[in-house]
Amino acid sequence: MRVDLTDSLSRLLPEEAFGHSVPSSLWTALRTDVETVVAPGSAEEVATILKWASEMGVRVVPIGTGAHTYPRYPRDPFIVLTTSRLNEIQHYEPADLTMTASAGASIRDLSTEMATHGQWLPFDPPDVPNRTLGGLVATGLSGPLWAGYGQLRNHVLGATIVCGDGRALRLGGKVVKNVAGFDILKVMVGSRGELAVITSVTVRLFPLPVVDRLLVLEATDVSELVSTARAVATAPIMPASIILSATSDGGRLLVRLHGARVSVEADQKSLEKHTGVSFEVRNTPEAESLLVQERGSGIDTELVVRVWALPSRIGVLLDLLKQVPGVSLNADVYGGSVRAYLPVNLSDIESSLAGLQKDIEELGGTIRVLRIPAEVDASSYFAKPLVDEGELAAGLKRAFDPHAVLWGIE
Amino acid sequence: MYRLLEKTDEEPVASLLTGKVSSGMTRPLPSTVVSDLAKIVGHEHVITDPDRLLVYESDGLTAYRRPPRAVVLPSSTEEISAVVGLLHSNGIEVIPRGAGTGLSGGALTTPEGVIVGTARMNRILKIDVENRIAIAQPGVINARLTEATNPYGLYYAPDPSSQSTCTLGGNVAENSGGPHCLKYGVTARYITGLTVVLAGGQIVEIGGVGRDPYATLDLVGLFVGSEGCFGIATEIELRLLPITEGVRTLLGIFESVESAGRAVTKIIACGLMPAAVEIVDGPTIKAVEASVFAAGYPLEAGAALVIEFDGTEAGLDLDADRAEQCCLEEGAIEVQRATDPEHRVKLWRARKKAFGAMGRIAPDLLVQDATVPRTKLPEVLAGIDDIGNRYGLKIANVFHAGDGNLHPNILFDRQNQNELELVERASKEIMQLCVDAGGTITGEHGVGVDKRKYMTLVHGPAELEAMAAAKRVFDPASLFNPGKVLPEVEVKGATDTAKILATGE
Amino acid sequence: MTGAPVYEALGQALDAQQERLLPCVHCGFCLPACPTYNRLGNEADSPRGRLHLMQAVVEGRLEPSSEAFRTHIDRCLGCRACEPVCPSGVEYGTLLELARETAAKAAPQGLPTRVLLKVLGNRALRSPFFFIGRLLRGTRLAALGATVLPSYGPLRAGRLVLAMLASTTRWQPMASGDAISGNTDSGSDDVSRRSRVAVLLGCVQEGLFTRINSATVRVLEANGYEVVLVEGQDCCGALHAHGGDLERARMLARTNIRVFEASGAEFIAVNAAGCGAAMKDYGTLLEGDPDFVQRAEEVALAVRDVSEILASSGPRIGASIPCKIAYDHPCHLLHAQGVEHAPITVLEAVPDAEVHIVTDAEECCGGAGIYGITHPELGGLIGGDKVAAVRACLADAVATPNPGCMMQIGAGLRLEASNEGVIHPVELLDESYQRAGFYRVRGAE
Ligand SMILES: Cc1cc2nc3c(=O)[nH]c(=O)nc-3n(C[C@H](O)[C@H](O)[C@H](O)COP(=O)(O)OP(=O)(O)OC[C@H]3O[C@@H](n4cnc5c(N)ncnc54)[C@H](O)[C@@H]3O)c2cc1C
Ligand SMILES: Cc1cc2nc3c(=O)[nH]c(=O)nc-3n(C[C@H](O)[C@H](O)[C@H](O)COP(=O)(O)OP(=O)(O)OC[C@H]3O[C@@H](n4cnc5c(N)ncnc54)[C@H](O)[C@@H]3O)c2cc1C
Ligand code: SF4
Ligand code: SF4
Repeated sequence: MRVDLTDSLSRLLPEEAFGHSVPSSLWTALRTDVETVVAPGSAEEVATILKWASEMGVRVVPIGTGAHTYPRYPRDPFIVLTTSRLNEIQHYEPADLTMTASAGASIRDLSTEMATHGQWLPFDPPDVPNRTLGGLVATGLSGPLWAGYGQLRNHVLGATIVCGDGRALRLGGKVVKNVAGFDILKVMVGSRGELAVITSVTVRLFPLPVVDRLLVLEATDVSELVSTARAVATAPIMPASIILSATSDGGRLLVRLHGARVSVEADQKSLEKHTGVSFEVRNTPEAESLLVQERGSGIDTELVVRVWALPSRIGVLLDLLKQVPGVSLNADVYGGSVRAYLPVNLSDIESSLAGLQKDIEELGGTIRVLRIPAEVDASSYFAKPLVDEGELAAGLKRAFDPHAVLWGIE
Repeated sequence: MYRLLEKTDEEPVASLLTGKVSSGMTRPLPSTVVSDLAKIVGHEHVITDPDRLLVYESDGLTAYRRPPRAVVLPSSTEEISAVVGLLHSNGIEVIPRGAGTGLSGGALTTPEGVIVGTARMNRILKIDVENRIAIAQPGVINARLTEATNPYGLYYAPDPSSQSTCTLGGNVAENSGGPHCLKYGVTARYITGLTVVLAGGQIVEIGGVGRDPYATLDLVGLFVGSEGCFGIATEIELRLLPITEGVRTLLGIFESVESAGRAVTKIIACGLMPAAVEIVDGPTIKAVEASVFAAGYPLEAGAALVIEFDGTEAGLDLDADRAEQCCLEEGAIEVQRATDPEHRVKLWRARKKAFGAMGRIAPDLLVQDATVPRTKLPEVLAGIDDIGNRYGLKIANVFHAGDGNLHPNILFDRQNQNELELVERASKEIMQLCVDAGGTITGEHGVGVDKRKYMTLVHGPAELEAMAAAKRVFDPASLFNPGKVLPEVEVKGATDTAKILATGE
Repeated sequence: MTGAPVYEALGQALDAQQERLLPCVHCGFCLPACPTYNRLGNEADSPRGRLHLMQAVVEGRLEPSSEAFRTHIDRCLGCRACEPVCPSGVEYGTLLELARETAAKAAPQGLPTRVLLKVLGNRALRSPFFFIGRLLRGTRLAALGATVLPSYGPLRAGRLVLAMLASTTRWQPMASGDAISGNTDSGSDDVSRRSRVAVLLGCVQEGLFTRINSATVRVLEANGYEVVLVEGQDCCGALHAHGGDLERARMLARTNIRVFEASGAEFIAVNAAGCGAAMKDYGTLLEGDPDFVQRAEEVALAVRDVSEILASSGPRIGASIPCKIAYDHPCHLLHAQGVEHAPITVLEAVPDAEVHIVTDAEECCGGAGIYGITHPELGGLIGGDKVAAVRACLADAVATPNPGCMMQIGAGLRLEASNEGVIHPVELLDESYQRAGFYRVRGAE
């Protein structure tokens, strides 16, 4: 449904807020071709928009780049709020290892700045350089590096947000330890734009590792790789990440080690001793492209699902998933998740997904659709709207977005 | 708008601080409630004798005292659920309690409250070595979990100084930290799932390894640090880490706490990631050396800096060399290094014994807790020194320097009424100083009752209302630990924003 | 507050102890060390809780005669496991004695406690008492009674007492094939010119464990110490102090101070942990007595556990006794005196004796004097855990250098029909020395 912006909203915002474009994939995700985009230039403007939307009964979908928006089915009139104009670094104190930046700042730009001080943000979800800081926080994704660094949610120190009804809040702070009051910030991490629009974020940074070594093991027999991968995950040393990718033709195990040269060398030896295999070492340019390939693989795939289970069950999950013809798999062995890129020509997507879901649940796992061709109705495999996630989630939704302005997944 | 949900008079009923003694009279529970509680947990686990209730009148912060109407000690999730259901249906407030080591009065009862203690819920239910998680009841002592998982080459990372006695439930409620949280992070990072008894006794399970963490909101993260105000955690799933191969401990002696602070900044800035960085200042060194815990530190030292590295054996000496270099460049008088456990214990001694030592040299001690950005440490420490001088109070600092978590210990004598007043004013100035430096009013001890008065220094009315709203989601009738965390704001008309802002200062 | 007269009369003892109570900062570090708290979960049964009750009495908020005060102070084992873990160095043991005295004056104690304290503190009553005990043991009536009396009901206490008596029987280690193997020590050397040592004979020790006293003397002599026999010594007073009868404890202490001073001994060797702890605290016990306090402190400084003396000079190695010994720490040695390794060093002087430390050896066995009799249920629970831990060692005998613990563990083992012997470490060393031919003992005791 189209919302006519010319009169009411345009009078409330400066001209710069209008006329922005977004990737066409967004419209696919939103199952619509409505192109009403507004780009506020400040938290105040965000508040203005949300108050206006509350009054007008218009829904708002906040986006960063819009490239990774969850699949949604808008039913009411809505607009898209992009953070693309909120993109400056507000505060960077390298000696404190903290940075505050606006939500729309791209991870690539932020990383460039951090790197000049030998620092980085150690999270690597798919396509991370192209994400926005706000989008990263709103989805809560850490990527496989959380094996070595912990999850994103533990390194978000503070944020400013604008709730669905236009209330602006400052959450957390700039310090690593902070227990002054209830930790509302935690629920904002991973709230996927359903509770509030994040306008700025303070994150804890890490020193860049002196050595970033990639160990590679390739095999045609995936189950062999799985047992090595699990042995790595239960070894006495903690790698930075453990990724296993597989297709029906074979697979590749990538283990990343971070640290000083001597310790990385010792870690590799101890892993090889523990697992009884010897890894190939890939050096920087090649390693980087391998990782980019893994992280970005299937970025254009239209049918993507994610499966979760106890990390120790990863083997059985892969055994099951690799039977899907034409599938390509990417597993975080430490975390216990598998992303499966499925061929769109999969015969009868709906019943195939239903079958997979049944099998996976029998193995104690869960399946979630991340992307799906617009023509397919597979809403039951999407993340549920918060109001359907139990009383507590629904209560929080009401507390932060009382008029349900921010779009839930429907 | 922000409005207080409950009205409590949190005047310290102090005997330690004011020499006053509370009357100890509480309204007994109706006998039917007592007998129904006894039916659930057994009569020996329901304490109602006013004399016996005295021992539950305070936690680790004895400035606040009030005995509860009863103490109930259940042994399972089901029992807690039944107890909470019964009490709430009678409109009786529930105050969860672990080991009572909290330092902000979190486990202090309300005048009408009943304490539900977890002392009997002390079993480790599961150790899953493959997935590196454990499931424990909330009354399990922090250090016991590490002892129990050590045989599998695993341990539980958060190590509050009270770890030999505080409970995992208390840790969850306070989001506790410890010396090694610099590298490893605080409790929140290790809690993966919870079974929680909510208002009315409803049992819910949230989180859990193996469940899709991005499927819904991070309710576990919100519950951690909720100080017993959202519900009672009755089963806790925690992440374990593999025991690191090697450890190096350094002890640097400095002429001033400022130069020690600069050394810390230098160490972090050169890309090192120590497991712990702790500072003990001059007054503390003198206190420790004067006590039975003397560790043999030079008395004229202005500060001692304890730095620890852990990880793969091979890289440790290099890290230690570089840290030592940083210390020397910042003017360290000497730097010692330990590799064996005994020597390590010795280097840590002044840090670990500081609290007890100060208890021995001064009649009373107020342990403060605040955080500032690490780079602001030198100026904030100088500021605290100045505050101490102006009020004529002795303030000793022992703190987690690596993450800017200060613990100024104010030494005083409660017999001296005038001094009490000064302690109160100095505390407030210290809090303001830390907040102005970009920090906050508590790093790990929580707000409890004690710091409610400082909440408005860091949060505005809108933020406080949002926190209150979050509490209402979990506990609509405010029957869990009311009167904690959120400050009391006097609201005449419900929408009298001006007044709220006024009290928000 | 209320009850001023009672309070005035009784609170004074504790009141004078403000300085000892105040360092308690309520940190709770002592909670997990406490066997009663660990089992009951009630903070009134924790060290911090008990101190809080004491403080409340001092503040006049609690009647010393109240049921709560008496029950929880009484239920304390006095094991002092709470002391070494306390960061503020609270002297719990001393405070407990004062609290017991306060409670005892406020309300009479139970009959068994009163009778026993009376008997033990009086030599004339003591000898017939122990004579009957030895008779029951010698005739095996004790052992019989322990097996036939019921484990519940009013006779339960009797059953326990008899089992304790029966357990004081001597344990005979297996004869070793090669009598002098492992004796690498010629026995000459410098051992002949060591210090003068007096031995505390003690009440229970003298009454039921004469053999341990004799072994102590022989072993010390074999290590070159000159042992002087001190006439006129009496019970150390520990049980009285723990029971709250501080007056009688002080009387006994004064007697002992007089005679030991006069003996001219450099050290006083004690082979019962409870007695050693009490004597090392004589200074505190008599701090209100200006005439004696100085002397008390000096005598206290001369007190050593026998194992400390032996370990300090590195005990002579005796002959092999192949056996497996489970060692359990007596609370009053480990917690009250801080002696951890010395008794183990003594055991290790016996070649082929394999020493295993009992799991949770630092936790009280529940003996605590007559605890098992006065608190059968809780004492049974605590004792049961200890017996299980001892049995899990699959040892031939359990060694623990305190008569109370020997009897408590011994009784527990006996009631479970388990065959481990119960010994004092010097007994094993003594046997080893005999086998090595350092001396010969004419006839058993
Ligand atoms: C190949 C592939 C793999 C994927 N794998 C995963 C996966 O493993 N796990 C997973 O969860 N998702 C996955 N996704 C989905 C997608 O990655 C995420 O939605 C993405 O993390 C967001 O990055 P962004 O900055 O570009 O934000 P956007 O794409 O613009 O937005 C992402 C989400 O965050 C919200 N949002 C963005 N900015 C803000 C803000 N400032 N305030 C409030 N809300 C905001 C949006 O509403 C939207 O829901 C995958 C997608 C692809 C194509
Ligand atoms: C000497 C000393 C040193 C200390 N050092 C540190 C330190 O280094 N780092 C640090 O972070 N803290 C420290 N503390 C503070 C304290 O030990 C911690 O806050 C600890 O986590 C409290 O645990 P507890 O079991 O004693 O909880 P309590 O004090 O009993 O309770 C604390 C709070 O938790 C709530 N609670 C308890 N159990 C539950 C449950 N199961 N579910 C829900 N709520 C519950 C209570 O209602 C209360 O609000 C120290 C305290 C002392 C005395
Ligand atoms: S450990 Fe010591 S200071 Fe702490 S509560 Fe126990 S007795 Fe008091
Ligand atoms: S002496 Fe033993 S039983 Fe008594 S309080 Fe201390 S630890 Fe507990």
